[in-house]
Amino acid sequence: MARERTGRTGMRVAAFVASPIVVLLVLFVGPMVVILATSFVRSSITGAGGLTLENYLTALRDPLYVKVLGKTALIATLSMLTMLAIAIPLGYLLAFRAGRAELPLLLLLVLSDELNPIVKVYAWRMLLGRRGLINDALMALGLISRPIDALLFSDVAVVIVLSVSWITYTTIPIYASMKAIDPNLLEAAGDLGAGLVTTFRKLIIPLAAPGIFVSLILVYIPLFSEFATPALVGGTSGYMIGNVVQEQILELGNWGVGSALSVVLLLLSGLLALVSYRLSRLHRVGVAT
Amino acid sequence: MIGSRSEPAPTELGGEVAVRAASAAAAVGWRARVAAWARVAFLNGVLLILYGPLVLLVVFSFNDSIIIALPFRGATLRWYEQALANARLLEALRNSILVALGVTPVCLLLGTLAAFGITRFRYRLRGAVAGLVGAPLVVPWLLIGVGALLFFNRLRIPLSLRTVAIMHVVCTFPLVAAIVSARLARFDPSQEEAALDLGARPREVLRYIVIPQLAPALAASAIFAFSWSFNNFEVSFFTSGFELTFPLWVFSTLRHAQNLPVVNAISTLVSAVQVVAVVVAWRLASRGRTRREEVAVEILGG
Repeated sequence: MARERTGRTGMRVAAFVASPIVVLLVLFVGPMVVILATSFVRSSITGAGGLTLENYLTALRDPLYVKVLGKTALIATLSMLTMLAIAIPLGYLLAFRAGRAELPLLLLLVLSDELNPIVKVYAWRMLLGRRGLINDALMALGLISRPIDALLFSDVAVVIVLSVSWITYTTIPIYASMKAIDPNLLEAAGDLGAGLVTTFRKLIIPLAAPGIFVSLILVYIPLFSEFATPALVGGTSGYMIGNVVQEQILELGNWGVGSALSVVLLLLSGLLALVSYRLSRLHRVGVAT
Repeated sequence: MIGSRSEPAPTELGGEVAVRAASAAAAVGWRARVAAWARVAFLNGVLLILYGPLVLLVVFSFNDSIIIALPFRGATLRWYEQALANARLLEALRNSILVALGVTPVCLLLGTLAAFGITRFRYRLRGAVAGLVGAPLVVPWLLIGVGALLFFNRLRIPLSLRTVAIMHVVCTFPLVAAIVSARLARFDPSQEEAALDLGARPREVLRYIVIPQLAPALAASAIFAFSWSFNNFEVSFFTSGFELTFPLWVFSTLRHAQNLPVVNAISTLVSAVQVVAVVVAWRLASRGRTRREEVAVEILGG
């Protein structure tokens, strides 16, 4: 009987999950396996074939790529820190202090994410360009005599635009975990004489930590693989590893090196996801005890 | 605007104590006012950063000058005329809409199936299934795009709008699964079981119990899936071959060119449609629910 029942459950589960699983195994896992395989095969342009580590050595020995990797980590980290600095207070205000403005503000936050990302990057390019509106305005006001070139085609521009692009995904999980905090706790902390800083450090941040780790997974990881934003506003100093991958694959046809760099990015993503996940688990246990 | 302001009225206290209490209360009131002001300023600052550039983009779509710069040179609709006469742009828009229209129902189906399989049963591989379904939401789209390009090449499948649509399904239906799972997790499976016990056929359970319960989540999912596909740049970039979608058109137009008012015009039109769609989705998701926590939870499902 029991076996029959588990057998039937198995059939019913299969009826639901079979098609999504097959789709993902073929079209998601499949391509990842092909990247992995391509990264270990000698470039087909030279016609040699055979297994090799050459692609990895080329990718990781080239000082340019190593420098770009470092730059990518810097840009991603600075963007992430900028977003956390905005998202933590924003999540707090939305969850506890916005009153009737809470839902309209959330709607505006979600809406800004649903608008076309390339259009948003373009809107910032209009502002930041050499002849962009910020330079124009500053010059018209007589504050500067020549346009500030650093605004566009720089790492600063990339950090600004990436931070704006990903702020929704950073804020929503943090807001959600703060929303789960009992407001009475905050009141109690206030009554016991804790200032805002203490309340944040001892109460809000620890309790909202799971949300912070979720936003790290959702945002910090994809930041490493950005290439549209740096291509449009980054210039040479805001050049990221995603741009190298895109160039190697699409422009140079150098699939081996492109794949090797992709695998490096994939491993990095996995590592970051694992660390964030472990930290969030550890943290939950820590809070519970 | 937020927080209480209490005016001190310590007339009955005597002498020095009254003065001290009054000044303390005044200090608290003053502080609360500064804090309230700071909160409003911060929220407005965030909104300005999110929407300020887009407002300027709209303003300059009406500016009668090919150069996007101050001062404003008078209003015109000619950029809109040019945009709507641009054959390549129209084709890109049409492609994006067709792809999104094809992708959305497939995502709803696959996402709902996956959501049921993950939330409604207990079995050994459940964690693995949930992990696999969630993975495309974590793996960067650049890598999914590169992988798909190499994968289709390996299989000698030529790149086209079809390959774009297939890959959009792969990276979008997990979002639908997440939204629908969040909804399913909050609605009691005993309703379905009760209906079955009372002799309802599975199709009737679906028609009278499941679909009405899921309708808001499905409506929200449909709009999100459509806009994820329509907006997708990274995956389309690697899988489209010689075809253009709207984000690809914007990118290729701007990659090696100056800023162009035509781009402002078409971006304004597209954004206007998206604003309407998201507001409608929001209304559908929050219909029938009055408590704002519940609405918020519904949205957070996505």
